[in-house]
Amino acid sequence: MTGIFWLVQDLLTVLMSGAVRMPEFFLLSLVYRLFTGGRDVYVPVIWTAFFGGLLWDLRWVGIPFFALCYVVVVMMVMAAWNTLPSSGRTVFIIFLLFWAAQLLPAVLSVLVLERKTGNVGWTLFGVQQGCAVPVSLLSAFFYFKHEKNRNA
Amino acid sequence: MTREWAHGLVALTLGFFLLGASPTITFLRSLSNVVGNVLSVPEYPAVITREFVRDFYLWSRDKNELAGQLEALKDENSKLRIINSVLVAEQIKAELDSRMNGARVTLREPNSWWNEFRIDKGFNDGIIMGLPVFQDGFLVGRINSVSTHSSWVELLTSSALMIPVVVEETRDLGVVVGDGDGSVLLTYIPEGRGIERGMKISTALVGELLPPGFPVGVIREEVTMSGNGYSTYKITPGASLGKLYSVSVLKHSRGLLE
Repeated sequence: MTGIFWLVQDLLTVLMSGAVRMPEFFLLSLVYRLFTGGRDVYVPVIWTAFFGGLLWDLRWVGIPFFALCYVVVVMMVMAAWNTLPSSGRTVFIIFLLFWAAQLLPAVLSVLVLERKTGNVGWTLFGVQQGCAVPVSLLSAFFYFKHEKNRNA
Repeated sequence: MTREWAHGLVALTLGFFLLGASPTITFLRSLSNVVGNVLSVPEYPAVITREFVRDFYLWSRDKNELAGQLEALKDENSKLRIINSVLVAEQIKAELDSRMNGARVTLREPNSWWNEFRIDKGFNDGIIMGLPVFQDGFLVGRINSVSTHSSWVELLTSSALMIPVVVEETRDLGVVVGDGDGSVLLTYIPEGRGIERGMKISTALVGELLPPGFPVGVIREEVTMSGNGYSTYKITPGASLGKLYSVSVLKHSRGLLE
């Protein structure tokens, strides 16, 4: 399933000529899997993040940058998720985790990969985050819908 | 949890290693090309869509630009037409002025007072038979006979001179003819054409010597209905035929003479 999100992100990036960065659909799907899959999916998610990021790097970046970023994000989210008590998993916190997860690669890519583009890079970052907020909200919605169905 | 962290650390180490070693690993470039080639298949619809959207945007922008240019050209064309019309009018005026030859009335015999008069311009001045004669821009008559230094002009009031004319308001064609007694009549106008007092009469296109559009006078009143479907009107000539001291002769245009 995460492969489809990777492809969606890739196709949307192609559609935008690579000029506008799309929200991290792939990473958000991994985070969703972390939240909903339990401990059994942690290891597959880590390696999916690594190889998905590597594939993204081979397709768009040229150096293995996102492979590292995605693994870092997955591990950070994993740590945060495990320290968070069940009562603290509110809509706002879940949304914040989704949004923060895709924020790190976006910020790092502007700082590291697009530092020469100056204000243009930050403008594109703004556009990406503008799209990422509703996607994060949608992810949180689907998480709660999933939880509701599971407890029903 | 230790197992996940171990995997994570291995992945991180691998990631750091690849990042650090990427400038020296030429294999990554080849792999990147392979990935690009493989992904070009599923990406094809997106590429087509992107090109379609881009072409549509460019077409739309070009269309707007062309529409703007068309409007500007239309505006420019209208202005040029106006300028051209003014220039043509000025050319015509200049040509007519150059062709108008001033002449002095030298003889008007009492026994043919309303039929003819003589002017002081003749063949040597470029006068030929049939040329129109004007006073203050209104038709007075036509050259009837020419000698070396003088010419005779047949007046509008002469019953021997017939000039095809047009009623400008209704575009009805008729013939202006004099009665030999000071009146000028408009004949051969079909009945019921709505000809009214004050309508303007000007020359119609009848030949190369008398151009169309020169004013003759205005309708004064309807005098008779012939019974065969035609009406006759009295007209007031624009020229003062009773006070002719000097006139202008419209000479033949150079092109027509050739």
